[in-house]
Amino acid sequence: MRRLVMLAALLAAGPLGAQDFSAGSEARSWNLYAEQPARFEARVVDMLCAVTGDCPENCGAGRRQIGLLRAADGVLVYPNKNAQPIFTGAAVDLLPFCGADVEVDGLMLDDPDIGARNIYLVQRVRRLDGGEWVNAQSWTEDWAARNPDADGEGPWFRRDPRVGALIEKDGYLGLGPEVDAAFIEDWF
Amino acid sequence: MQLIRIAAGVCALAGAMAAGAPLAAQAAGERIRITGEIIDTWCYFSGVMGGPEAVVGSAHHTCALWCSAGGIPVGLLGEDGEVYMVLKIEGDDASAGGDTQLRLASHEITADGMLYRRDGLNYLVVAEVVADAGIVNHSHDDFGVTPGFAIPEPAE
Repeated sequence: MRRLVMLAALLAAGPLGAQDFSAGSEARSWNLYAEQPARFEARVVDMLCAVTGDCPENCGAGRRQIGLLRAADGVLVYPNKNAQPIFTGAAVDLLPFCGADVEVDGLMLDDPDIGARNIYLVQRVRRLDGGEWVNAQSWTEDWAARNPDADGEGPWFRRDPRVGALIEKDGYLGLGPEVDAAFIEDWF
Repeated sequence: MQLIRIAAGVCALAGAMAAGAPLAAQAAGERIRITGEIIDTWCYFSGVMGGPEAVVGSAHHTCALWCSAGGIPVGLLGEDGEVYMVLKIEGDDASAGGDTQLRLASHEITADGMLYRRDGLNYLVVAEVVADAGIVNHSHDDFGVTPGFAIPEPAE
């Protein structure tokens, strides 16, 4: 009986204890303090659905964050970032795979001192049923399609209408135009 | 015979765990009222823009707007120092770049809602923003702005 209990513990601990998913990863380093290359298989899920059971069609159709339910151990991985180095999340890139079993490659952040567990930067994704790798960098293209009047020079975040309206109202520091003006005079 | 049944059960458990089945179930939630700042979680977790103190408050407000609008998850940095990943605010489930969370960037709020814990992260479904104190952390006094290019250089 004791041997069976030990066997059960060993089997149970196997997938749960496997924290190294770097094998085969071709992820590009971002030189982040807590990054580790991580390539693994997962099911693409709606985060709110996975956490609370509130599950609309198509993972929320673009409104919601998208998660990765890792096949090896059932851990819910939270992709916070796509592969573009310009303030862009991962939901746009993962939504087309809602409900699908995929393989992803990217960087895992694990820094318990500040609460970062299973935080992921996805760089590429492919369907397990034979799909080609797709680079996770479609956010800006999606943004441009949603903001046809925001064309012009400079990166998206300088031209985004919602961001621009809030900065115009509250300033870059968010404390009002007067605080902004005094700071800018000193800053430059 | 009993040992065989136990062994079969062990194997079934191991197989199910490998497939993620039992671990995929929703976590039980608990009612919570919590006060903290709505933050940009990627900059906070990754350190890409500097240490944790530099990527909160007014110093990081513009970047927090960019990241929120860019679909990066927002969190509530509680007074207890823990980060609570925000999945929904007052019925608005647009956690990937939605207007409600964008409007609250860098604000200190008191939220009433449900807390879920799963796989090392805290998740928050905000039923009501009980109080919104605006931006109370004037971190620009210590850090300027992060990143430094957040404010474009004024034209001559």
